[in-house]
Amino acid sequence: MNKKKTIIGGIVIIIALAGGYGWYQFNRTVQGLANVPADFSVNATDLIKEFVGSENTANKKYLNKILSVKGMVKNVESAQSTIVLGDTSDMSGVRCVIDSTANSTIGSLQKGAVITIKGAITGFNKDETGLLGSDVQLNRCVIAN
Amino acid sequence: MNFLIKKGIVSCCFILIVASLMAQDKFFTKSGNIQFSSKGAIETIEATHRSVTCVLDSKTGDIQFAVLMKGFEFRKALMQEHFNENYVESDKYPKSEFRGQITNNSEVNYAKDGVYTVHIKGKLTLHGQTKDVEADGKITVKDGKLLAASKFKIQMSAYNIDIPGSVADNMSDTINITVSCTLEPLK
Repeated sequence: MNKKKTIIGGIVIIIALAGGYGWYQFNRTVQGLANVPADFSVNATDLIKEFVGSENTANKKYLNKILSVKGMVKNVESAQSTIVLGDTSDMSGVRCVIDSTANSTIGSLQKGAVITIKGAITGFNKDETGLLGSDVQLNRCVIAN
Repeated sequence: MNFLIKKGIVSCCFILIVASLMAQDKFFTKSGNIQFSSKGAIETIEATHRSVTCVLDSKTGDIQFAVLMKGFEFRKALMQEHFNENYVESDKYPKSEFRGQITNNSEVNYAKDGVYTVHIKGKLTLHGQTKDVEADGKITVKDGKLLAASKFKIQMSAYNIDIPGSVADNMSDTINITVSCTLEPLK
């Protein structure tokens, strides 16, 4: 009798734990990156070069990773909470969409300042028109310094 | 001599005019917005992309969009993971593209502020599949910029996106897509 109770009790606990875990997973929000360590630390211009050199190799290396990118602020598009890092002489850049929950200091950024941004890389948007320049894109970004 | 100078000035002016006309032909953005949503029985799935590239040629009405699939932001982490891993398989198919044309482009006066209703026809490539898409949209010309907006629907099944049987009842095959881009003249 006691043994049966223990088994039933065990099953109930397991179901409760599984349910709780499921509920947690179901409601889990996308994590902020402020306290997540970067998988790679790279220079904006080097990163662009790697993707221009071989998109496939760079995709394999970087996709689904967290990157810490250092570079010069080329443009600040406050309306889209986007910071573009890279060389002004090149149309290509690293476009960083700032995490809306951490969107505080973007307005005070100056063009030409060298900063480090941590973000989740979403890929390389190769320009096929030859007019716009190809970009590496990051989202959920936080300014690291 | 005088004639030559005059001729030179005239041709210079001509080149400048042509150059300035050409410069205003094309409009673009790299930070366009695309949202999608799908109403299911249990919950609504929605996501936003804020780095959409769009180029519009005002002369021909050609319009192109490019979107990196991994750039769609969801509120819920699990939705984002399922979207990338199981549905659009963004590792395999990182990019989605639309290439099309505004079929009534002549009705849009890109030099005059106003709201113009447009009809767009083209090909959407998603999940490795290319399908014809037609949509109505609006182009608002204001201060030399264009606001391009459109709403349309696609069916996931048309793009070979499988819904696992276990959730098929809770998910709709129809995806509502909302596009909103502010295009600037390309200089």
